[in-house]
Amino acid sequence: MLRLFYAFFRREFTYIWRDRGLRVVLLVMPLLSLLLFGLAYRAQVLTDIPTAIADLDRSAQSRALASDIKQAENLDVVAYYNSYEEIKRAIEKGEVVVGVVIPEKFGQQQELRRPTRVAMIIDGSNMVYAINASVAVLQVVRTIEVKSGVKVLLAQGEHMKDAMNALMAVNIVDEPWFNPTINYAFFLVLGLVLNIWQQCCTLLSAMTIIGETGTRSWVHLKSSSRSLFIIFLAKILAHLVIFMATVAVLYGLCFEVLHLPLRCDFGKLMLFTMGFAVAMHSLGTLVSSFSRTAADASRIVMAIAVPAFVLSGFSWPLEAMPQILAQVVKWLPQTGFFQGVIFLSMKDASWAYMSQYYFQFLLFALVAYALTAVIFRLVPQKTS
Amino acid sequence: MRTMLNIANYEVRHILKDRVAFAIVFLAPLFFAFLMGSVYYSAAINDVPFALVDLDNSLASREVADYFSTGQHFKINPEIDTCEKMEKAMREGIIRGGIVVPEDFSKKLARKQSTEVLVVYDASNLLWGYNIRKFAYEGMDEFNRRYAAAYLQSMGMHPAQSDEVLNLVNCSIMTWYNPTYSYINFLYAGVIFIILHQLGLLGVTLTIPREKEGNTWIHYLASPLERWQIIFGKSLPYIIAGFFNYALLLWFAHHFILLKIEGSILLIALLGFLYTCAIIFLGFFISLYAENSLQISRYLILLSIPIFMISGYTWPRYRIPGIIIAISELTPFTWMAEAFRKVTIKNLGFPDIAYNVLGLSIMIVIGLALSGTFRKDREPIAEDKIRVNGGPEYPRRV
Repeated sequence: MLRLFYAFFRREFTYIWRDRGLRVVLLVMPLLSLLLFGLAYRAQVLTDIPTAIADLDRSAQSRALASDIKQAENLDVVAYYNSYEEIKRAIEKGEVVVGVVIPEKFGQQQELRRPTRVAMIIDGSNMVYAINASVAVLQVVRTIEVKSGVKVLLAQGEHMKDAMNALMAVNIVDEPWFNPTINYAFFLVLGLVLNIWQQCCTLLSAMTIIGETGTRSWVHLKSSSRSLFIIFLAKILAHLVIFMATVAVLYGLCFEVLHLPLRCDFGKLMLFTMGFAVAMHSLGTLVSSFSRTAADASRIVMAIAVPAFVLSGFSWPLEAMPQILAQVVKWLPQTGFFQGVIFLSMKDASWAYMSQYYFQFLLFALVAYALTAVIFRLVPQKTS
Repeated sequence: MRTMLNIANYEVRHILKDRVAFAIVFLAPLFFAFLMGSVYYSAAINDVPFALVDLDNSLASREVADYFSTGQHFKINPEIDTCEKMEKAMREGIIRGGIVVPEDFSKKLARKQSTEVLVVYDASNLLWGYNIRKFAYEGMDEFNRRYAAAYLQSMGMHPAQSDEVLNLVNCSIMTWYNPTYSYINFLYAGVIFIILHQLGLLGVTLTIPREKEGNTWIHYLASPLERWQIIFGKSLPYIIAGFFNYALLLWFAHHFILLKIEGSILLIALLGFLYTCAIIFLGFFISLYAENSLQISRYLILLSIPIFMISGYTWPRYRIPGIIIAISELTPFTWMAEAFRKVTIKNLGFPDIAYNVLGLSIMIVIGLALSGTFRKDREPIAEDKIRVNGGPEYPRRV
C-alpha cells in the first residue's frame, strides 16, 4: 500500500512538471507578483504630499504663513502660484493634492486683528492621499490658528504660557499599533502576494479529479483495481507539499528580503498556512469533481478565489459590509486566512484566538472532501 | 460586410449555445458588479469598534468621551475600560482603536496647563488606521476649539472677542470631488473596469481555442475569407456585448451603488467604446496564440489583482517606480481608469483625457495589427516531446 502511495505521489509531481501551464503558474507567478508588489509599494510610507500655495497677498504675514505650511510634516510644497485658477488647474491635473490659497489683504487684516479665511483644498479623488492629506492639513491648520491666537493674546498682555495653554489645552499623542511607521507595504504586500499564491494553488487543486477522470488513462487506472482512496490521497499530499514549498519560499523572501514584520514564530505561521492550504485544496477538489472540463474547473475556482480576497475583509473591513454578506463570507477559507495571517504576523495572536480559524478550516475541509466523495460516486466518470 | 456579419452570427450562436461563454459574456459582469457593490455599499468606515479608557473620570474627561461616543464614527465598547483590556482587545480585533484620558486630565485643565490624550489605533490594517487617525484629529480639534472659547470667556472676554482670537486666521478645509470621503467614489469604478477588462478578455480569448479544440479553425484558414473579415466578424459580438455591459454596469453603479458619475456622457461613451475595442482586439490576439482555453483561464484571471494594484489607481502613481508604471501601461485598464476618474469625478473635458484617449487608440491599432499576424496556412503540430495539457487537448469528461 505504501509503495502504491509513493508511486502515485511521485507520478503527481511528474504530471505537474510536464504541465507547462501549471509549472509557470506555480513557480513563476507568485514570485513575479512578489516582485511587482514589492516594487510598486517600495515607497512604503505616504509622506511628502504634493502641495501648492497661491499667495495672493505677498505680505510679510502671508509669507510667514507660507513658511509655516512649508515646514508642516508630510506636506511637500512643490509649487507656488499666483492665482486661485492656477491652483484649481494643478489639482484638476493631479499635479498637487493640497492647495492653499492665502487671500488678498491677509496681512492688512491680521494687523487690524480682523478674521481672515485661508482656503485649504484637498483633492479627494484618491482616498489614500486624501485621508493622509486631511490629517496633515488638520495639524498645520491647528498650528497656524494657535499661532495667530497666541499673538492676539500676547498683545492683550497675557503670558505666553497661559496663551498657549488656552489655545492648545489638549494635545493628541497618536500611536499606531502593530505598524508604528504606518507602512503601506507592511499592510498590503504580504496579503497581495499570498492572494496570488492561493489563486495559483487553487488552480492546481482544481485538477485533482478532473485531471485524472478527464483523461483517457482514467480507464486504465479505474480498471487496475487500485485503491482510488490511496491514489487521491497521494495526489492531495503531493499538492500540499507543493503549496507549502512555494509559500515557504515566498515567506522567506517577504520576511528576509523585504523585511516585512513577522512577530510570531515561523512554525506557527506555517502551520496556520497549512490549515488554510488543506481547506483551499478541498474547495478545488470539490469543484474538480463536478466540472465537465479542466478549463471549467479552473474558471469556477478562480471565480471564487479572486473575489474572495476582496470579500475577505483584507481590503475592506467585514464590519463595514452588509451583515448578511459578512456572515456568508466568514465561511470562506480565504476570509479566515487573510484575517489570521495579519493577526499572526503583526500581532502574534494567541493559540486561543487562532483556534477559531483552525476550526473553520477543518470544518470546511471535512465538508468539502465529503461532498467530493459523494459527487464522485454520483457523477458518471466517462472519458472520450 | 455580409460575410463579416455571417461570421458574427456564427459566433453569437456559439456564445448562446455554450453555457460557460454565455455566463462570461452576459451574466458574470453584472453578478460580480453586484457582489463587489455589496461589499463597498456602506461607502465609508463608520462605527469603528473603539475603546474609551477614562482614567480621570471627571466632567472634563467625560466631555472628551462625548466627542467620541456621539456621532457615527466610533462605536464605544463599554466593557473595555482599562489599558490592559484595551491592549488585549486590540490584539484580538475586538476593537480597532482607543483613547486614553490620563488621570490628571481635569486637574491640569483646571490649573490651566496643557495636557495630552493618547489615541491608539490598529495600523495592521491601514483602512482602519487612516480613518481612526483622521476622526480622532477632527474630534480633538473640535474639543480644543470649544475649550479655548470657554477659557477665553472665563478670562473676561466677550464671546465675539474670543471668536476673533480663535478665528483670526480661519482655515477652511475643503475636500474637492469626494467631500464625503466615499470609498465607492474612490474604488468602485476601478472594480467595475477590472471586471469588464478581465471578463471581456476571457470571453473573446476563448473564441479561437474553441475552434481549435473543435477542429473547426481549419475551415477559417482554408476559406477564401480575408483576415480582417475573420477578425472583425469574430470580434463584433464581443464588442457589442462589451459596450452593453459597460453601459449596464455604469447604470447599475450609479443608480444602485450611488457611484458619482458626472461629466460629459459623450466622453464617457467614447471612453467605453475605446476601452471595449482595446480589450477585444488584445484578447483576439491572445486567443490566436493560446494553446487552449485551459491555459487562458489559468493565466488571465491570475492577472486581475496585479493589473488593478500596479495601475496607480489606488497607490499614487508618482510613488510607483517607472518600470512598474511602464508595465501597467501595457493594459487598457490603466488608461481607462485614470481617464474615467478625470471625467466622472473631476468633471474634466476632452483636453484633459486626450492623452488617455490616444493611449487607448494606440492600443486598438496595435491590437488589430497583432491580430492580423496569423498565417492562413496551418502549421503542423510540434510533437517533439510529451507534454501534459499542451496543444488543443486538455482533461475533459464527455
